[in-house]
Amino acid sequence: MASFLLRRLLALIPVLILVLVIVFSLVRLIPGDPAVTLLGPGATDQQIAALRAQMRLDEPFYLQFINYVIGLFHGDMGISLKSGAPVLSEIMVRLPATLELALSATLVAILVGIPIGVLSATRPNSLFDHFTRVFSLVGVSMPAFLLALILQLIFATYLGWLPVSGRLSPYIIMQPITGFVIIDGILTGQWDVVWSAIRYLVLPTAVLAAFLAATLGRFVRNTMLEVMSEDFIRTARAKGLSRSQVIIQHGLRNSLLPAITVIGLKFAEMLGGAILTETIFAWPGIGRFMFEAIKNRDYPVIQGTTLVFSLLFMLTSVLVDLLYGVIDPRVRKRMK
Amino acid sequence: MKLLNLLAGAAIALPLAFYPAYAQSTDPLKTLVVAVPSDAVGLEPGANKAEPVGSEVILNVFDTLVAWTAPDFTQLEGRLAESWTVSPEGTEIDFKLREGVKFHDGTDFDAEAVKFSLERTKSINTYVEATFGLISDIAVVSPTEVKITLSEPYPAFLSILAQPQAAIVSPAAVAEYGDAGFATHPVGTGPFKFNSYQADTNIVLDANPDYFRGAPKLERIIYRVIPDASTRRLELENAGVDVVQQQGQLSAIAAEDVAALQSNSDVTILEAPSQIIRQLEFNNNNPDSPVADIKVRQAITHAIDYDGLLQGVFGGTAERVYGPLTSNSWAYNPKMEELAPAYDPELAKSLLAEAGVDPASLELTLYSFQGPLWGAVATFVQANLADIGINATIAQTEFPALRALQTAGQFDVALDGRQPWYNDPDAHITIGYLSSLADTAMTFRMPEDAALDAEILEAQQTVDQDARKQLYFDIQEKIAAKVPGAYLFSPKLIVFTRANVKGLVINSAPPLNEYWGVYKE
Repeated sequence: MASFLLRRLLALIPVLILVLVIVFSLVRLIPGDPAVTLLGPGATDQQIAALRAQMRLDEPFYLQFINYVIGLFHGDMGISLKSGAPVLSEIMVRLPATLELALSATLVAILVGIPIGVLSATRPNSLFDHFTRVFSLVGVSMPAFLLALILQLIFATYLGWLPVSGRLSPYIIMQPITGFVIIDGILTGQWDVVWSAIRYLVLPTAVLAAFLAATLGRFVRNTMLEVMSEDFIRTARAKGLSRSQVIIQHGLRNSLLPAITVIGLKFAEMLGGAILTETIFAWPGIGRFMFEAIKNRDYPVIQGTTLVFSLLFMLTSVLVDLLYGVIDPRVRKRMK
Repeated sequence: MKLLNLLAGAAIALPLAFYPAYAQSTDPLKTLVVAVPSDAVGLEPGANKAEPVGSEVILNVFDTLVAWTAPDFTQLEGRLAESWTVSPEGTEIDFKLREGVKFHDGTDFDAEAVKFSLERTKSINTYVEATFGLISDIAVVSPTEVKITLSEPYPAFLSILAQPQAAIVSPAAVAEYGDAGFATHPVGTGPFKFNSYQADTNIVLDANPDYFRGAPKLERIIYRVIPDASTRRLELENAGVDVVQQQGQLSAIAAEDVAALQSNSDVTILEAPSQIIRQLEFNNNNPDSPVADIKVRQAITHAIDYDGLLQGVFGGTAERVYGPLTSNSWAYNPKMEELAPAYDPELAKSLLAEAGVDPASLELTLYSFQGPLWGAVATFVQANLADIGINATIAQTEFPALRALQTAGQFDVALDGRQPWYNDPDAHITIGYLSSLADTAMTFRMPEDAALDAEILEAQQTVDQDARKQLYFDIQEKIAAKVPGAYLFSPKLIVFTRANVKGLVINSAPPLNEYWGVYKE
């Protein structure tokens, strides 16, 4: 198991290097550079040239690359061309927000999607099954921004139960400790902050979870139907196990493998890809940060966030593989 | 049992350990929440490069020597300066400074601080190189008197001194935090003190009770970063924010929001004229272009239904522009209204015929910025051109690519415009129409004209206001005669507030809000 882990982690390195080279070059091929985008349409060539010089954008490509890689070895990801702050600290400030959202969305999706899938599989072609098929179709097809707007209108404007956007009530000004607002609230014993944070988390979580829950529901249903028709299920029933034992211990457990892959991939995707949700709900996350950096041609930030995102993605994939080993004894044997 | 004890102990101990970082809530009636579309860049004059959010924060945390007087913004008033005199040749400005003003850190405001601030901004802010570069010397005559010497006469310099980049910083604070650190601890003399900044989330300002013009009525301002326009509107309707400015004039259409919010009794709509000019411009220095013939250009300017555009696309949220300056500029020539082309498609067609040009043969690509506002304007113009037989294709282009095209002269017609960042006709005329500067920015690319250039430069440097005005009158007429473009509209500055917010001052150039006099009922 340990050598398996080591091998997987070592394999990360060449992939990250490749990602870095690709991003570094691609981003400099896009027309327009940070000086132009930062200064806007009213700027003169003179102002742009002066800013370009200040940003050291005139240096030859290979020199910029070498300097960047050397910086990486020191843990220095460069400085944001827009804000002037170190890229690593900018990322670390925003990462907890995205993690909070991604974790809660994944949790909700699992809690909603898997039971629905199981229930549909045990009642195939019933009314409940038809209902969940429609629900899955809608959840997968509905664009995130449309769902977000609908939820905002219903729950915030018409019902007034939940806030429209943001992470915390604007009247609460708090210095972050861990960056996770809920944890910070608990640590400082301020339950009004915790409650406020939870209220603000509901709608963005719902939007992000919708797609995954719908996908999971469908997935688990189909996989379980296949598994439930296998011989060993009939054997288990024949042995005298109760219906729920058969469904959960034998049926669900065997259907979980593909579901875990989906959950893992989608979770990793949420870390960098929840751009629309983060934009509409004014959630200060890293997806939105990366998107705006691309608009602003903020090279160090684009490179830094892509590297971090790739790393997180690959680590999640390693985690999923490890989880496979935990759940499936056949895989565990192969890992040794 | 042990675990429970541990948890209980933690529940008591941890809050005590982290106590200093607790949250501060404030009275909503004394707190103004402002929605902004993006995070601020450069919260101090040395770092600010005319980015709107940072500039507005600077305007409320710092003071400038002079500022424009509300509500017309045609007269300058002294803020940190009590009075000033300009030498007859226009190269020396002598400021008598206000006494008894203190920075937020308690240190005194004086002439040394003025010298320090302006020289610091000049050396570290590349954006103001061209204008601050004209400063040849700043002399501290006494703690309350400072003399600025320019290398050449530049009457617009007083407008430059009213800009956020010219705000006065606390030398003591800069010494304490360093140039880079000062941006996260800005210290000025303004009505609000900087409290905190959370990336992509909010900027919090607290009232300065010792402000020299009197303490502000508000206790706190919170800038909330809300990137999505529809979310900003929902927040305003739900009282999540108190003020929403229609920033991002390039991309938003205020008309739909104005119509929807007009019937909402909880929302007040404030309108102010701006000095922004948007036009359909021609590539004026390419003799091979199909629009090189002045009759073709005139035909196109007559083909556009100006009032239709203002009503149909903007629903009254924009005003007509008749020439190179907006009608609210002190140098605006009233004659421009009669000289401006009228909507006359028949005249347009006959002009094309006179020029011997068959409209169907003109293959024009209409370039413009991205966004729904430009899309709507481009579609309207395209339809107007089709009415006189010209087939135009719309090409909405991402800004950096558009700029590259435009400055290289690789276009025939384009939708473009300018939002002046300081309140002086120089902001529109010099950079827009000086033929020697044609390729250096997004200009009208005027063909070489030494006489007009000389007149523009003379107007820039003439000290006497009336003489300057006459020169600009003449310049406007000369420019109009060359038909460099069709002046389409000037969007109004529109700010939406909750109905209980009073006392808001909207500056026109640059379009930023001042919150000193604001209060909530």
